[in-house]
Amino acid sequence: MAGTAALVQTRNAVVEAAHEARVGWNRRATAAVVVLALAALVPALPLDVSLDGLAADLYLGAAAVGLGMIVGLGGMPSLGHGAFVAIGAFGTALLSDRLDWPTEAALVGGVVVAAIAGAAVGTVAGFLRPALVAVVSWLIAWLVFLGLAAFPSVSGGSQGLILEEGTVVGLRLSATLHYELGVALAALALLVFVVLSRSPAGVALAAARQNRAAAEGLGAPVARLRAAVFALGAGIGGLAGGLAVYLAGVADAAAYGPLLSAKLFIAVVLGGAVAPAGGLVGVAVLAALSRLVELGGLDSVQAARVEALLVAVIVLAALGTIERGLLPSLTDWRRRRRGGEPREVAAARHEPPIVDAPASVRGRGLTKRFGSVTALEDVDLDIQAATVHALIGPNGSGKTTALAVLAGAVAPDAGTVAMSGHEPGVVRTLQATAVFPELTALENALVGARPGLGHRVARAVLATPKARADARAARAGAQSALDVVGLGAAADVRAHELPGSAQRRLMIASALATRPRVLLLDEPTAGAGYSEVDLLADLIRDLRSSGLTIVLVEHNLRLVRRVADRITVLEAGRVIADGTIDEVVENEAVLKAYLGGPRN
Amino acid sequence: MVAALLAGGCGGSDESEATGKPLTIYVNAPFSGTPFVGETIARGAELGAHIVNNRGLNVGGEAYVLKVKRADNRLSPQSAVANVRRAVDDDAVAVVDEGTGVDASWRIAADAKLPVGITYQGGIGLVDPESRPNVFRVAPNDHGLAFRLAEYIIPKRLKIALLVDDSGYGQEGKKALGQAFKGEESVVARIDLPAAATDVAPQVLRARRAGATAVLVWAQAPVIAATITAARSAGWDVPIYTPPSGADPLIRQQLSGHPDWLDGLTFASGRMTSEVGTSPFFTFVQSFEAAYGPQRVGVQTADGSDVIQPPEYAMYAFDFVRVLAAAMEAAGAVRGEAVIRALNRVTIAGANGDERGFNLVNHEGVIDDDVYFARFRDMTFAPVEDDLLSASLPNVEQTR
Repeated sequence: MAGTAALVQTRNAVVEAAHEARVGWNRRATAAVVVLALAALVPALPLDVSLDGLAADLYLGAAAVGLGMIVGLGGMPSLGHGAFVAIGAFGTALLSDRLDWPTEAALVGGVVVAAIAGAAVGTVAGFLRPALVAVVSWLIAWLVFLGLAAFPSVSGGSQGLILEEGTVVGLRLSATLHYELGVALAALALLVFVVLSRSPAGVALAAARQNRAAAEGLGAPVARLRAAVFALGAGIGGLAGGLAVYLAGVADAAAYGPLLSAKLFIAVVLGGAVAPAGGLVGVAVLAALSRLVELGGLDSVQAARVEALLVAVIVLAALGTIERGLLPSLTDWRRRRRGGEPREVAAARHEPPIVDAPASVRGRGLTKRFGSVTALEDVDLDIQAATVHALIGPNGSGKTTALAVLAGAVAPDAGTVAMSGHEPGVVRTLQATAVFPELTALENALVGARPGLGHRVARAVLATPKARADARAARAGAQSALDVVGLGAAADVRAHELPGSAQRRLMIASALATRPRVLLLDEPTAGAGYSEVDLLADLIRDLRSSGLTIVLVEHNLRLVRRVADRITVLEAGRVIADGTIDEVVENEAVLKAYLGGPRN
Repeated sequence: MVAALLAGGCGGSDESEATGKPLTIYVNAPFSGTPFVGETIARGAELGAHIVNNRGLNVGGEAYVLKVKRADNRLSPQSAVANVRRAVDDDAVAVVDEGTGVDASWRIAADAKLPVGITYQGGIGLVDPESRPNVFRVAPNDHGLAFRLAEYIIPKRLKIALLVDDSGYGQEGKKALGQAFKGEESVVARIDLPAAATDVAPQVLRARRAGATAVLVWAQAPVIAATITAARSAGWDVPIYTPPSGADPLIRQQLSGHPDWLDGLTFASGRMTSEVGTSPFFTFVQSFEAAYGPQRVGVQTADGSDVIQPPEYAMYAFDFVRVLAAAMEAAGAVRGEAVIRALNRVTIAGANGDERGFNLVNHEGVIDDDVYFARFRDMTFAPVEDDLLSASLPNVEQTR
């Protein structure tokens, strides 16, 4: 009985997945399937090609797609991807040669070792700035290479580890099978990239690449996601390395030096890191160059020199003319041809959803110092539920620091922050208009929309029923948030194509998509015109009516006067006044702070 | 006969006149790793092909022309394997191989019935007529070199430090030395050197502290140069012995500022001249120099003469190509199993007058006993006097 139920459940899940695939199918997907099918047919065609060489290129291409995930999705310019290919290669070779593991098991072992190494490096890289990621990963490329060279007992010395011909599911690993495995691995890597990039986790990663602080402000666990995507990319590289050593018949440390890492990085930069197929296209360009040079009839030494020179020239030319790589530049060009001017979007707004348990926030004795500068000094804040509480004060008075402390982004040196109820739910927008320009409006909102399981890279890649259901819920939540700010019709428009006013509302939509109970707005009208201030005032009032508690840091007193229920005035990190707008404007200390003295 | 052939080759018709279907021979060698080795092997093979083409290669009534294609193995087994794959894809008829990666590449070549001729590395396990029927060697093997070195050094009652680098060349030498010096009490240290190191002073110091009174370094040329530098700059004036890599011009180039440091360096190698006399080898040298010019080492003797490197290893590649051509003619086929079988039957007169050929149980084209010793003095080397075979050999002119 239980078995039947499980079968029905599985069948339903499969039908549902098929339906989703059908709905999400587009011309690009069709083109990709056609290209892969044609590629798989190559061995059957009467072509004079070296399947070994093509298989090696495909394995390299798959490794480059893995690197593309780390660079393009994760925003980490790794210059050491060859190290993970090497770890996979030698892990597989050692398990096969020393422990006599069957091919499949040795390959899985190699992938696991590479992925663990990737996770370890990614855990560190997730916290680092891009320039440091590049330096650290380059050092790792050298470390692995020198380590292999220093321990010939592990690497087989300069003769390498010799592998017997492998078998996969009983089939001899011939050149043809290697080629087909290469096509399959490249396709799998592309699929993983596409699925991941469309998932909430992928959107959060893309957002963090463009503006890490804003993504983290919306609750995206950037460091954890980056570690996961590093492990994933390293695992794909490891599998490519494992298959490549079976193809070569030998695992040779000299073949996995830092130059391999450089080659992979060049391929990704050339093809375009943000495009799933960018790495594959980059490897194809490099391979084509190599073949072209060979056709010139040069011997291999001269050919290698000419090839290196050509690659350098082409990379420089590519970087100079098409900054984002071949595929993204092609996409940009096509978009420009269609017209990429900022689009006006209708401002029809929906009612915000009711907040189930409006929250109040209490801060006591909040103190924060940055070196010798005291940003906050013994500040008390009482923010009532479902009200708009404004924090005002001159520049440098500590408003933004107070907001950061309330959000939990900055730990106070002293004092406590307490929120009513047990549910978390504080979200903060940043001072500047912090949208993610390359993402669509819906994707921007999706960064904040946390699915039930949170951002899980593994579940997203495997597209489990639960992950897909969560993703659907997240998209619905993101769309709802866009509707609330009047951007429902602009869901598919990229953020940088929206006018400035819409971008400011989009930032609020991203925050709303987190389903907060307390919304912290940091100068939402900065640079806004009159009509826009009116629009924002209406929006803030509606949000308050829905039960949302709003803390507003704002210089525009016109907006404050219109929406604030209560105001706290800060000067030099201290509270100088607290009350309603009428109470505050008559406060002498406030008048002195703003106008240099009381009005006559 | 060889002299006549060479004379014909050099002074006779131009290769461009040779016509026929092209047959490609791959030279799989370290053109970028150790350029001298790669270049000398390739030139030997090209000269061999030149001689065969000028004489005319007729197999089964069809005329053929041998073409040589260079492929850089970068001293990397994986690159070497990739080159053999390329050779198979290019429908090559043979691979003249330096030896790197043969453990992995021989099977690929065997599947394609492609003969592999090793002309530099002497690793004991590289050649085995039974398990690797398509692999042949025309070069002194490590077994012969190591045993001859042991036979030469041990009676001198020296305390020996055995230094090997971690390159394939060094590690194969280590195996051979392990057998030749097995249980030998005069060996006071066995030390591994990193092939990529430019300074091996710590390892040399260890050898010295172990009480060594002689050093045997089995390593690539740069490591030997580094070892000599480390020993001599520390004032350690012990005799140093090496395998054939000790004659690599790179060592003399690196030590050109201290020619006295090189004096006394003794290396073992396959003898260049044969029992029939010096004439065949000198004719080969003339032919080689006519084609490529003398191999200038880039250093001078004390009296200002340019030092020339004899084309010793080129001779081996040269001979293999000619044995291959003879096998094709004997088999009546240019590729495949028939040629490999024929390689076990045919014999030619080698460039130095020795017989070159293989048989079903022996794929070594240079016999173990043909190892001699030479010692450097004033940037050139001469056979030593304290070894019976070496003392019987003539000096080969090395200056211009």
